[in-house]
This record gives sequence, C-alpha cells and structure tokens, in this order.
Amino acid sequence: MAYFAEKNFFEDLELIELTQRVFAGDLTLNWYNSPTEKVACTPRDAVRGLTYEDCNVGTYGYGGLPEFVRNNYSMAARGSEIVPGLPDLGYTINRKSDVWSENVAALYEEAKTRRWTPAVDIDWSALKAAPLPADLEAAVSQLCTSLEEISLVMMELPSRWVSAINQEFLELKSYLCAQMIDEARHVEIFRKRALAGGTGLKRASASAEQALKEILFAETYPEASLACNVMLASLILGVFQQSAAISAVDAKIFRLCMQDTARELAYGVGHIRYHLQHQPQRAEYLHDYLDRTEHTFLGIAASPELLEPLIVLAGKGTSKAALADGSQRVRKFLQHTVDAYLERLSAIGLDRRTRSRLPKFVATNAP
Amino acid sequence: MSYLSTIDFFEDKDFIDKYQYTLRTGELDLSWMNAATEKVQCEPQNARRGLTFRDCDVGSYGFTDMPELIRQNRSFAPRGAEIPAGVPDLQAEVNRKSEVWAYNIEGYYEEAMSRQWNATTDVPWEELRKYELPEAIGKAYSQLLTFLTEVEMIATDVPAKWMGRLNADFFEVKNFIATQAMDEARHAEVFRKRALTTGWGLMRASKANECNLKFLRDADSFAEASLTLHLQAEGMVLTLFRFSELISPTEVDKKMFRLVMQDEARHVGYGMQHLKWVLDHFPERREIIHRHLDEAENFVFGGGYATEVLEPFIILSGKGMKKENIEQGLKITAQFNLKQIDEYFERLDKCGLPERRERSKLALAMEMTRAVIAAQ
Repeated sequence: MAYFAEKNFFEDLELIELTQRVFAGDLTLNWYNSPTEKVACTPRDAVRGLTYEDCNVGTYGYGGLPEFVRNNYSMAARGSEIVPGLPDLGYTINRKSDVWSENVAALYEEAKTRRWTPAVDIDWSALKAAPLPADLEAAVSQLCTSLEEISLVMMELPSRWVSAINQEFLELKSYLCAQMIDEARHVEIFRKRALAGGTGLKRASASAEQALKEILFAETYPEASLACNVMLASLILGVFQQSAAISAVDAKIFRLCMQDTARELAYGVGHIRYHLQHQPQRAEYLHDYLDRTEHTFLGIAASPELLEPLIVLAGKGTSKAALADGSQRVRKFLQHTVDAYLERLSAIGLDRRTRSRLPKFVATNAP
Repeated sequence: MSYLSTIDFFEDKDFIDKYQYTLRTGELDLSWMNAATEKVQCEPQNARRGLTFRDCDVGSYGFTDMPELIRQNRSFAPRGAEIPAGVPDLQAEVNRKSEVWAYNIEGYYEEAMSRQWNATTDVPWEELRKYELPEAIGKAYSQLLTFLTEVEMIATDVPAKWMGRLNADFFEVKNFIATQAMDEARHAEVFRKRALTTGWGLMRASKANECNLKFLRDADSFAEASLTLHLQAEGMVLTLFRFSELISPTEVDKKMFRLVMQDEARHVGYGMQHLKWVLDHFPERREIIHRHLDEAENFVFGGGYATEVLEPFIILSGKGMKKENIEQGLKITAQFNLKQIDEYFERLDKCGLPERRERSKLALAMEMTRAVIAAQ
C-alpha cells in the first residue's frame, strides 16, 4: 500500500461526534450554498440527445479550459467547488495542448453511437457455409494474427496514459476509453475470425513486435499519439481498405473496423494539429521523433507476417501469376498509404514529404 | 518510458532486400502457411448469442488450459499463435493467472460488449422539461450527482493503469478492463450531464472521498486494487445506486440509475469472481487481503466526514428539509448505511472470506447505525 488515511478513523472522536450530530438531525449543510455556476443545459437537438457540446457552458465547459491546469490535481469535477485538502492524484499531463483535439467531444459521441458487437454483428455461420480456398483462408488467418497483435498494442497505448492525464480533460479521457473499447473489439474480432475459419492463428511477428514496442513505449504522449493515432492508424486503415474485398463476411468485418480506426486517425490528426497550433516550437521536435521512428512503419508493413498474406489476398491465390499480381497491388497500396500519411502530416503542419525516408522504400519504381 | 527497437528497419539491409525482392518478384517465403499451430474451427454454440469467447475456448487457444504461471510468452503474440525468435519482452509485471483471473471473465466481457448504452440518447433528457424540482431537492440532488461525477472515473484510471502491466495472454481480462473504462467514462458523463440539467450545476467536491480514491489508485498489486475497487468500493456504490433509484426525484432519473446499475453489477461481479479465484488458487494471499481491507474499511468509516454525500442523501430520502422530512430521511439513510455494509460482508462471505465480518472494525459503524435506528 502506498497511501494511507491521515488517521485511524475508528478512534477518531471528532468523526464519531460529527456522525452522531448529523444522525440526530443537525445537518451541517456546508455544501448547500456552494458558489458554483447555476446552469440548466438542454439538448439543442432532441434527436441527437444531450451531447457534451450542449454542456459546454461557462465554468463547466471545455471551451474555457486553460492551457495549463494549475488549480486541480484531484478528481473534483470541472466546475465544482474545490475545497481545501483535496489530495494530489499524481497527474503528470496537465497541459491542454499536449492531449487536446478540437473534435474530441464529437468523436467521443460518435464512438458511442457507432458501437458494434463482434459476437452478434457478424454472420459467423456464413464462414462455414461458403469457405474460402485453403490458401486464402490461411492468408486471412495470418493477417488476423498480425492484426490481433497490432490491436493489442493500439488498445494498450491509451491505457498507459489515461491515468496520467488530468481529470479536467474529461472529454479527452472519455474518448481514450472509447478508443480502448474499439481496440478491444478489434482484438476480439480478428481472433474470432481466425479461429472460426478452420485454420486457427498463425505466426506472430518478431519485426512487427519490435516496431510496435517502440511505438508503445514512446516517451511523451504527443509522440505516442503521433506514432499510434496518425502513423500506425494510417497503415492499419489502409490494410483494412485493402482487405475488404476477400468475402462478404470479411468485407463487413473490415468495414466495421475501418470506421473505428478512421475515428482514431481523426483524433490523432486533430490532436497533433492542436498541439502544433499551441506549441509551434514542437514541430522540429516531432520531426526529429519521426526521423527516428518512421522506420517502425516499415518494420510492421514489411514484416513477412503482414506483407505476404496481403499479397496472397490481393492476388487471390498462391499461383505464380496471382502472387506477381498481388505483389504489384500491394506495392501500389503501400505507396498510396505512405502518400496519404504524408498528406495528413502536411495538413497538420508537419510537412515531411521531402524529409521522410519512407517514400523511397515504398516507391513503385523502387529497386 | 522509452524503447528503441533492436533493429532500425531503414538500416537493416537484409530486411529491406527481402522486402523489396518480395514486392518486385512476387516470390514469397510463405513459411507462415505451415505455422506450427492448432487447426480449429470454432462455431457459435448458440446462434442467438453469436460467436463468444467461450466458444473459442479450445485447446491451445483457450483460457481453460492456460497455466498458472506464464513462462513462455512475454510478448504480444496472441495466445496460441506460433512465437518466433526475436519477439521483444513487453515487460509484463503480472504473469500469474490467479493475480488477475476471474470465474466467468469471458462472460462478463461479452455482456459488457452487448450491453453498451449511450448516455446522450438512452436517457430521455427532453422529458426533464416536465419536472420542476423544489430548491432543496434540486440542490441535494445536484450535490449527490457531484459526488458521483467525481468518483466514477477512478474506476477507469485504476484498471487502465494495470492493463499494460498484465501479460498479453490474459487478453480477456485486458478486454474486460477496456469495457470497464468505457462504462465508467459513461457514468461520469451521465451524472455530469444530469447535474448540469438541474438548474444548479455541480456543487462541492469531497475531500474525504478523494482521499479514498487515492488509496484505490495506489494499491500495490492488481489483486488488491481489484479487491478494493471492484468489490468493496463499487459494491458499496451499487447499493448506493439502488437506493438512489428509490429516492431519485423523477422517472428519468430512475431510468438513469437502472442503466448504471447494470454496468456496476458487472464490475462487482468481476471483483467477486476474481477474489474467489484468488482465494481458490492463491490462498497465501488471504492475510494480505485482510490487511488491505483493514485500511480500506478505515477509509469507509472516515467517509463519515463526507457530509456533502450523507446530507443530500438524507434530504432526498425524506423529500425535503422540514423536521419531519429530515426524520424520515434519517431513517432511510440509516437503513441504507446498514444495508451497504451488510451487503459488503455478504459478498465477502460468498467469495470465501466469511471471517471478515468478525475481524472488521466496521462492526462499530453497524452498531452506531443500529443505535440510530433504535433511537428513532
């Protein structure tokens, strides 16, 4: 135990006296005239319900959050009366622009609205009714093995930071919870897909895991968010798009996953944009970080355990012609994905189109 | 926190050459096709429930045959997959199944996924226009909601803090933690939104309760954190929700409490089944559990200082601040306090810790409460 109560309350006569007084009907009512803002929020649109945006008012709103949170290290709800003696809950991320994105409240609301359930939203019986050819099923299983591995990391990354983030950033923390459950769903769906197809899981990837560990163990939250929510999410969204044509069941799986990952990407882009708008001096720092870290994109994308099943599935088989066709398609896919990633960075304010080393490794005319 | 991959992939000539050769020629290694893993075809046992984790509890992929100590996998390799040489150590700190596991963990996870609800749309906020609460009730209710808003997300922060420390072979637990994080975010959201619709807004934070939150946050092990968070604290909050449904001022509020109760009951269920698992599989923990509960109960008793929770409850129970209202409110509140502690001991009984009732100093609180009831 690292934290103990300030006294043994069982022997605290003051407490016993207070409790007896209250239970005799002599209430303190010390809270009754709390000097907080009086508000009555209502839904602006009854169909959409009461959103966080509807509650973005006065001292309660996120609109008025200061860049530096200096006056609350507890879990006291934003806008409530802060009383003396509240403990420090150990938050180490107290600067708004280190975590915030203008779209975060809307993304949280969207995440709740678009929830789905792998157990029942997929027609699992269709897999047995219309099995894929053995080589394609094996490739799906290998792809799902890699995606389960990646999803575990994408689930764990927000969990590592959420308890360090000041509670004043409630909507952001809530969004990170939505991201965790989205990725839990991906862990689940890819595992189940592999186990339901008749093949089981295949091989984990040493190179992808080395790269994933580097992303997961980023030193700061902006670095972690940039690497996971922008760089890795760009790759994974591309993989989902690329893989959606395998079968009707798989198309539905990948479409559902795509909407979750697109949301992560929207947060990541919004976050880094906000971060740089408020801390422009960090641009060079993030460039330097990506100079060192973008190799992990290749470590994942070029790992045989991800690359090869993508080629087999793109070419729809393992014949020589199919593999040649598949490899050309995947080459284009990788170039397109890196282009899209660099476009996003450019739109955020991190133009790396001439600086990044990634393009030369994915160019369709590369050796 | 920082890790650099053992390989810089831009600089690894063999890796790059192989990748570029593959893309250029379409000649693949394909050795993964013959990965040494089990061939299975899992199917839903019940079409209506869909394909569940229980349906996937087969052979090397399953959780039933998972060993007590995870010695073979310290990476993110999915359980049952072939683990190649060179996967990194993810630095998991919890590699013993009985430190985290719970009977029916897979069922709690599936239930959580299927019973997600939306605080924005599943509470009929528009109907609140029909109600106008008297000042005393409105303020008392806002104060109760302030307390609930304040405490809910500790149950996000604590499990989330542990998720990354658990071995990836325990992914069902990690997934359950993810659902709990979302559940608690939704609870903080719904109580906050409700407070902001009352006309009074949020009110006063609670020092006594926040110190308790810090205690929950700083437990030494996952088993201790779960014991006090899931079983003790959330168990007591579950009783509070049940009484809050009873005393809440509108039908809208009753619906809100029914929704949060189903989530909370799931968390308490996990906590109980986890403690039961610990006591069944790691009996050496029993004394540590008692020691941790000794301090947890000290905080519970110290909660008497939280008049900002106790008093609104009295006013809401008695439906006002007149003398007769307060008298009625005190009766209901005393019953509630007694019920809260009694249910806590009952839960511990069911988990296999019946001696707690005798050892606990909370008996003192029960005596005081009984005296209040007798005096009334």
